[in-house]
Amino acid sequence: MKSLTLRNLHKTYFDPAVGTRVTAIQDVSLEIGPGEFVAVVGPAGCGKSTILNMVAGFLPATRGDIIVGDRPVKGPGRDRGVVFQNFALLPWKTVIDNVGFGLKMRGIAKPERDRIAMEFLELAGLSHAAERYPNELSGGMQQRAGVVRALANEPDVLLMDEPFASVDAQTRMTLQEELMRIWGERRHTVLFITHDVGEAVFLADRVVVLSKGHVLREIPITIPRPRG
Amino acid sequence: MNAILEALDRYAHWAARWPVLAALAPFVPVVALWWGVAAAGVFPRAFFPAPPDVLQSFLTLTYKGILPAYLEDSIGRLAAGVSVGILLGIPLGILVGLSGVARKALWPVLLFFQAIGDIAWLPLLLIWFGFGLGTMTFVIVYTVIFPVVINTALGVRSIPPELVRAAQSLGAPRWRILTDVILPGALPNIMTGLRNGLGYGWRALIAAEIIVGTSGIGFLMFDARRAGSAVEIVLGMIVLGLLWYIVDAWILAPIERATGQRWGLVTRA
Amino acid sequence: MSHSAAPIEMGQGPGAARHLRQAATFVAPLVVLFLCWPLLVSAFGVDARVFPGVKAVFAAAVESVSDGSLLAHVAASLGRVAAGTLLAVVVAVPLGVAMGVNAGVSAFLTPLFRFFSVLAGIAWIPIATLWFGYGFGAITFVIFNAVFFIVAYNTLLGVTAIPMRLRHAAASLGASRLAMVTEVLLPGALPNIVTGIRTGLGFAWRGLIAAEMIATNVGLGYMLFVARDFYRTEVIVLGMIVIGILWLLIDRLILAPLERATIERWGVVQRA
Repeated sequence: MKSLTLRNLHKTYFDPAVGTRVTAIQDVSLEIGPGEFVAVVGPAGCGKSTILNMVAGFLPATRGDIIVGDRPVKGPGRDRGVVFQNFALLPWKTVIDNVGFGLKMRGIAKPERDRIAMEFLELAGLSHAAERYPNELSGGMQQRAGVVRALANEPDVLLMDEPFASVDAQTRMTLQEELMRIWGERRHTVLFITHDVGEAVFLADRVVVLSKGHVLREIPITIPRPRG
Repeated sequence: MNAILEALDRYAHWAARWPVLAALAPFVPVVALWWGVAAAGVFPRAFFPAPPDVLQSFLTLTYKGILPAYLEDSIGRLAAGVSVGILLGIPLGILVGLSGVARKALWPVLLFFQAIGDIAWLPLLLIWFGFGLGTMTFVIVYTVIFPVVINTALGVRSIPPELVRAAQSLGAPRWRILTDVILPGALPNIMTGLRNGLGYGWRALIAAEIIVGTSGIGFLMFDARRAGSAVEIVLGMIVLGLLWYIVDAWILAPIERATGQRWGLVTRA
Repeated sequence: MSHSAAPIEMGQGPGAARHLRQAATFVAPLVVLFLCWPLLVSAFGVDARVFPGVKAVFAAAVESVSDGSLLAHVAASLGRVAAGTLLAVVVAVPLGVAMGVNAGVSAFLTPLFRFFSVLAGIAWIPIATLWFGYGFGAITFVIFNAVFFIVAYNTLLGVTAIPMRLRHAAASLGASRLAMVTEVLLPGALPNIVTGIRTGLGFAWRGLIAAEMIATNVGLGYMLFVARDFYRTEVIVLGMIVIGILWLLIDRLILAPLERATIERWGVVQRA
């Protein structure tokens, strides 16, 4: 596992509706140690997803540095696995092919990547759905697949963008507990975005409160695990 | 490379802000290119006229009144054919949509006659009606009616039965259910059908005018073809393209979108 | 998306028996129509020069099959459609994908392709025959045009309609540019591409018949148009039936199932 460092991050963009440049992120610095689970919370529009998109490499930062381990981020890459709010599974691939997608991109042969993907599907309790297409699965199952798709690619940092916001409350609790179980075993460095304070406190070692594009405060969560 | 990407990015932003300008701007370099190729004399002028030639012919034909008269003929034929097509197509579509027996009996027949295609009727129609309005109208009605019937039927079938039951339980009589539930419910699909039908219909009109015509834009083009003059052909194509672009992009598509999106219906065809 | 999937109730029986029953329910009304035809013709005493009887059409069918002329016309027409369509798809799909990758390029090219796809097909016949003369070149050009612009435009629409998060997901899993095209953009645009091919072929098929009436000396359109000169309605009707059956086979057996398979399997909802 590697650390994730955000240093004096700024993001401004041109808003056609307003006609001027708007500041989305203002001087955000954040240090996430190896194996640490940090949650960023804030209301809609506070810029938390912008931060994640910059860390993922989907958006360029206007100013500032993003460093994974000791390498600065330039565009998307497999060192940072992303779990999306709306799952973002490729609809034309079966679940097992979705989970094995990153391995395929690395040139791993079909039998080997199917074996690895199957291991991860078992980890998420999805082995029975391996040959199904994403639209045949419930939201909860799709997001399980989304999580293990990111994990199967062995990222150094896991980026999660409100991953449980699109599923029902019951499923959300199950998924949170499963995430804790998996994280407990593997100790990924995690940047977790959510608007749900309860979720942040339940999951994270440290909660960063974001408001209007800057960090309001950072709160270490010292409640011993497992939390209930 | 980066400069190009940035310029493209700027263009995308600009296009999003000024959609009308962005719809026109791309034609500027295309016309310039066309002009350049024509001026360079790569192809003989008679085969490949320059924009000023086409403009000149546009002005001449407009001044002589030929272009307006032909345009009127074409639009009149299209309007007549489309009106009849709609008047026949929507009731038939509702019948096919509502009645299982009618659907089983008529669906294959509809598909088969649609498959024959309007243009294949032309020789037979020429024998029946000669070179006249009858042939033109028949071809356009024939073209318009199938997409309208098929899409209307689909629209009627896509109305959730609860809506009909709700109206029934609120005390609506049968014809009220027809006018207040089924017709508006099927409207997005009807519009899709109409849009498709018109798309085929005006092509059928052009074909009919080319093959049997004595006036109209299609005739203008084919007459020019016989005389070996590309100028009027290109003019005819531009007029047709513009005309259809206006009808489709500014009238039909917005209506279709308005009915479909307003009501939150996704029209699947 | 013009023609639509036939919403015919399906029998509940398994496999082959169900397909057979489905086919039977589909063919039955056409058979009835076919049986009514001679009755109507004789009941109203229709002149053979206005509409032919079944026997005459049958005789024309036997004659044109035995002397090989029908086969020659069908082969010519299908060959032109296949050549024009294949060429158009091979050029249009990569171009559409390339255009769709960049928002600026697609904003620039969309109005152009829209304009030309609106013009596609029959309107090109006069200029095509002027440029290429009467024959294979002009007709293939018309078909190419009908398919090319519509497929390119639909591919472009399909690529731009792919949710950004899918492209992001693939990129973050390490997809190269090439993999992005083959694994995300092409499959994502496939439903639109198939729809485009279906619509474009519909225009191309009509354009073909029209062009053959004017610009050639072999093909189904030519067969119809020559028969008109001699008032041979039985040959015209035979040609129409052949045209109808051919298109029905192309559309129902190849295009519609392809469209349905991609759209339904992946649950990609297609807006008309």
